[in-house]
Amino acid sequence: MMEVSSLSATYPNGFNAVKRADLNLASGKMLALVGESGSGKSTLIYACLGLLPKGSKVSGKVLFDQIDFLALPQESQRRIRWKKVSLILQGTMNSFTPVLTIKRQFLETMEEHLKLTQREAEAKAAGLLEEVGLDDGFLSRYPHEMSGGQKQRCAIAMALCCDPDYLLADEPTTALDVITQAEIMNLLKSIVRRRNMGMLMVTHDLALASSTADEICVMYQGCTIETERSDVIIRSPKQPHTIALVKSLSMMEE
Amino acid sequence: MTKEVAAVENLTLIFDKSYAPALADVSFYLKERESLSLVGESGSGKTSLLRLLLGLLRPSSGKARLFGQPLDGMDEKELRSIRRKCSYIPQDPFGGLPPTLNPLQAVIEPLIITRSNLKDVETEKAKKLLSSLGIEEALWERKLIQGFSGGQRQRIMLARALVTDPELLLADEPTSMQDASTRMDLINLLKAYLKKGMSLIFVTHDLLLAKAMTQRGIVLYRGRVCETGPTDLLLRDPLHPYTKALVSALPKLGKPVEVKVKRKTLPTGFKGCSYFALCPYGFDRCKDLPPLKQLGERSVACFIGDTFQET
Repeated sequence: MMEVSSLSATYPNGFNAVKRADLNLASGKMLALVGESGSGKSTLIYACLGLLPKGSKVSGKVLFDQIDFLALPQESQRRIRWKKVSLILQGTMNSFTPVLTIKRQFLETMEEHLKLTQREAEAKAAGLLEEVGLDDGFLSRYPHEMSGGQKQRCAIAMALCCDPDYLLADEPTTALDVITQAEIMNLLKSIVRRRNMGMLMVTHDLALASSTADEICVMYQGCTIETERSDVIIRSPKQPHTIALVKSLSMMEE
Repeated sequence: MTKEVAAVENLTLIFDKSYAPALADVSFYLKERESLSLVGESGSGKTSLLRLLLGLLRPSSGKARLFGQPLDGMDEKELRSIRRKCSYIPQDPFGGLPPTLNPLQAVIEPLIITRSNLKDVETEKAKKLLSSLGIEEALWERKLIQGFSGGQRQRIMLARALVTDPELLLADEPTSMQDASTRMDLINLLKAYLKKGMSLIFVTHDLLLAKAMTQRGIVLYRGRVCETGPTDLLLRDPLHPYTKALVSALPKLGKPVEVKVKRKTLPTGFKGCSYFALCPYGFDRCKDLPPLKQLGERSVACFIGDTFQET
């Protein structure tokens, strides 16, 4: 269980982006964090992992299976990232190093965090690529030799390389066409089930969230205002902001 | 008879002969007060079509017309004068606006260029557009474009496009960076202009948006027309396997997304249906190019598209 309670985050310039946010994520479930731009979604997940810029103030608790993450010294936090919880950044498909092969980039991460021989690491990387629907020939490719969808699959495989229990993803399908987006969402959902992993996904798209996530948490002006099962929240939203979001989408679909 | 606003006939565009054409044999027309969507994923040729219509690109073969006049014989001066009846919203709000102007300057700039003297009424119009698009009055003359977010810049670009009251608006993914609620504001504003007599060519990869915004749609895949028809039919009863895949992959409130494609590697030198690489149904016949069949107010380029029954 990942538990966030009363989490607040203030940037060095004094902007209070997250205000006493709460959320719970169970293993094997996908929770979508939904809100408009500027509502604090991305800040919340960076705050959970201690990744906000130096000088930011973070208070509250973030527990990963009872481990009080924010209370740990930096070195221990670093060991938990990737292995316990990993992160897929927004636009992550553009975060590969252009001059290294995919294999090199996998091995770099695994060498840092796992004690594997080169051969074991290569076999593991090939297995991970297979899990996301890519053959092992992609290991010898450079990032520019892949399409956006393929790079996104690769980024997901990389996030899984230390077998984390939790995966946090910031807008994992922006900049992909709808068909590739649907493929990636189905892939993430099947990985979450198969690995019994908890996944927290940030998205501004309520329709996408409601069509894939088990639960939805709506953020507004830094606060988590409503958390509910996906099918329930779109049928009977309670908070005025959630009602407005659902309404503006239903108007489109009419 | 209603006036023709824009038309292309058998348009083909080849950037590099060693690759498949960017556009192949595309035809459509748009009459006064009509609205048309160009739908497809990246690389399908939507943006190139807009640029061809404005004479910013020249076709390899085929014809393009604006307001009934063929573009191919026109020189730069004639092109410029015909472009003044149009507005174009480019896809990229970071490259599409002068970064060192403030929003008000950016919106009245097209008026300064096209009118010899700027009347107060017109400045008022610019202000009204900015405020109806949710750009705060306090920022109009105080903050430079470079300080605005992608979504805000898109709204400033829309104001800039509408301020000249264009007869034809060519808009390339104008709402891609908007949140759900502001997107509705943009849609409503565009609809009000359509009511006043503007014609619209709208580029999007989102069929729902195409339906909300326009009457007719053209679905493109790798530069070829897959299907055309009224947007509500494209969404409700798609005929081409690609349109079907687009519809089922669309995230709709509470409905699971479905993937109706089967990715295949194309044999080298493949000259058949452009959709063969993704089509879940493809068979031997699809190794020839399917013709665009006319079916009443719709058309579809697929051997099985009009007879196909979902099993």
